[in-house]
Amino acid sequence: MLKFLARRVASGVAMLFVITMLAYGLIYLAGTDIARTLLGQNASAQAVTLKAHQLGLDQPLASRYWNWLMSALHGNLGTSWFSGVPVTQLLAARLGVTLSLVVISVAISAVIATAVGVWAAVRRGWVDRTLQVVSLVGAAIPNYLVALVLVLVFAINLRWFAPTGYTRPQDSLSGWVAAITLPVIALAIGAVAGVAQQVRGSMIDGLRQDYVRTLRSRGLSERRVVLKHVLRNAGGPALSVLALLFVGLLGGVVIIEQMFAIPGLGSLSVSSTTQGDIPVIMGVVVVVAIIVLLVNLVIDIALGWLNPKARVS
Amino acid sequence: MRKRLLALGASAVLLLAACSGGGGSATSTAGSAGGSDTLTIGEISFPASWDVNGLSIAHYVTYFDAVYDTLIRQDGTGKLVPGLATDWSYNTARTKLTLTLRSGVKFTDGTDFNADAVVASVKAFKASSTPDLSNAQYISDVKATDATHVVYTLSAPDPMLTRWLTGSLGFMESPKSLTAANAKTNPVGTGPYTLDIAKTVTGSKYVFDKNPNYWDHSYHVYKTLTINYYESPTALLNALQGGQLDASTFADFSSLPQVQKAGYTVNRSQLDWSGLIIYDRNGKQDAPLGNVKVRQAINYAIDRAGVLKAIMDGNGTVTSSVFGKATAGYDPSLDSYYSYDPAKAKQLLTDAGYPNGFTLTMPSSSLINQSLLTTVQQELGAVGITVKYTDVGSNFVTDLLGGKFTSSWMQLASANDWQFAQLALVPKATFNPFHAGSSDANALLATMQSGSDADAAAAAKKLNTYVTENAWFVPFFRIDNLFLSNSHVKVTMAADNATPYLYLIQPAS
Repeated sequence: MLKFLARRVASGVAMLFVITMLAYGLIYLAGTDIARTLLGQNASAQAVTLKAHQLGLDQPLASRYWNWLMSALHGNLGTSWFSGVPVTQLLAARLGVTLSLVVISVAISAVIATAVGVWAAVRRGWVDRTLQVVSLVGAAIPNYLVALVLVLVFAINLRWFAPTGYTRPQDSLSGWVAAITLPVIALAIGAVAGVAQQVRGSMIDGLRQDYVRTLRSRGLSERRVVLKHVLRNAGGPALSVLALLFVGLLGGVVIIEQMFAIPGLGSLSVSSTTQGDIPVIMGVVVVVAIIVLLVNLVIDIALGWLNPKARVS
Repeated sequence: MRKRLLALGASAVLLLAACSGGGGSATSTAGSAGGSDTLTIGEISFPASWDVNGLSIAHYVTYFDAVYDTLIRQDGTGKLVPGLATDWSYNTARTKLTLTLRSGVKFTDGTDFNADAVVASVKAFKASSTPDLSNAQYISDVKATDATHVVYTLSAPDPMLTRWLTGSLGFMESPKSLTAANAKTNPVGTGPYTLDIAKTVTGSKYVFDKNPNYWDHSYHVYKTLTINYYESPTALLNALQGGQLDASTFADFSSLPQVQKAGYTVNRSQLDWSGLIIYDRNGKQDAPLGNVKVRQAINYAIDRAGVLKAIMDGNGTVTSSVFGKATAGYDPSLDSYYSYDPAKAKQLLTDAGYPNGFTLTMPSSSLINQSLLTTVQQELGAVGITVKYTDVGSNFVTDLLGGKFTSSWMQLASANDWQFAQLALVPKATFNPFHAGSSDANALLATMQSGSDADAAAAAKKLNTYVTENAWFVPFFRIDNLFLSNSHVKVTMAADNATPYLYLIQPAS
């Protein structure tokens, strides 16, 4: 197990290097006139040139990336070219917000999708057919459209929730729950549909296995057979889908954060990209890449726990 | 099992309902609109930093007005009124401006506001890379003659100086803060509020607390001010419809009926004009543009009313003149100087020696409204002028200022005569990369710079007529700036800023 972990961590670190290098190159290829964006359209050419020099934009690309990398390896992600706030501070203020949305959405999706998928696989008939139709519809509707409808109905018309904004849990727990309810529902609806289908499929396959017949013939209750044995074996593919879901939601949360004016990593990445605030963009890239790599590692460990054969493959 | 699931689901719904806060209520998560002595404003920009030598005007002014004061202020009509300076006067040659400063005022770090603080502020401004550096171009020296008097010495008269002191050049920051490492993140001014750093999320929500020692009791300062930044127009619209904001900048013309239905008043001002700038009006690179008849033909070829309706949904005023309504040079009769007359345009082109038209290359960019560019191309094409667009991406302004194009679409502010002259009219103006001009125009510009207020105003009017008749530009319309307010606040729009100054946003009662 330790060897397995060490291999995964090493490959993750290598991938992180590649990702940051590609990201850095892509930002500069975008060709944004960062100095002018900082100074405004009416700034003189002289002021723009001076600003570009102050930011090191007149240095070769490789040299700029190397300097950034060396600082990052020492834990210094720099400061925002626009606000002057340390990048780590900006990220720290927003990471928890985004993670709370994504983690809660994934958790809720996992629980509901598992329950619905198992129910459909066991009951079949109209339950199964309904699930398939609902899954198709849920996957087809973009989550920003769902968000728009939720805001219109529950926030603007019924006034049950605030349409925008975010409250930190340390300021008000009930306010925090109220603030994330609609965004989480918008994120989870499409996710539940996809994961439920996966669970349903895996469960149906599992229920057809010979060992299930053997377990039933030994007198185990149907509930024990389904929940303790079949679900565990069917959990592997579903976990993989959940990992993909987590990564997908990290990207999908960008639009949701903008729509609800939630100060998360998604909205930070959009604003910093528009401005060409390279230190912040790279900070977001590093954090998101680390999260994705960690999630994949955790899922691999969980898969190994569920299926011992996977540990040595 | 089924009963347990149902019970769990019911409990979850009840829990969520108990926790929910309605929009506009005291538990609203983005600030309470209409709450007790609180003001919540929506904005579509946020300040890059709290450095007074960064971008601090236009849509950033509400943020900066919260923590800083300017030396001079403007009332809603554009008239200059006292700020941190109670009086000001020029010498006869208009090369020395003396300010009398308010006494007994302190910065929020306890430092005294005095003439030395003003001197330090001006020096920091001139040494910075502020985008408004040209505001101080004529200041050769600034001296504190005593604790409450400052003298600005100018290398040449600057009719805009007192106006600049109502903006970025006039924001006063504590001298200690000017050199502090955290100046960009921790503003220290004399303003009506202090930034609550703990509750503020940079780039999202800015919370300010009332400054208990604020010197100005002439207007109401709220207990708490919250400014929310909305990157998404949809989020801003939802916040307005949910009643979360007392006031807000607003730019989505198509959604005006919805916000009006939600109970907001639409306050308007006009600062910018949108249209074409003919940079090469001396014809150095594009000979046809050097002919006044060709430039006039371009003016007659554009259906201004049609473009305003199509692009801005009618929110603006058609004009043929580049001097805005707040300028001394404004002449309402020039708004309709050029009518939409393609036949006359063709005749003028023929008279100028271009019966078959000619080709113009203009820049295009995703930053510009594509429908507008297409319309310009079609309407000029209808009179024989073929417009070819070159996509310059985000380098649009850089390429224009570098003289790579002889004409282009542009949107410029025109709320002050000399400011606009510096921006687009004088031979070395920012938006005059070909340094085009004439002796007649230069003479009028000289009077605008050095003449008395009355002479400068008269010269501005004559220059407006000259520039319009000689078709240096092809303005389409002046653009409406919108600022919404609910029934709890009363807003007076600024004469020369897109967003009202914070002291012009007051309780309605």
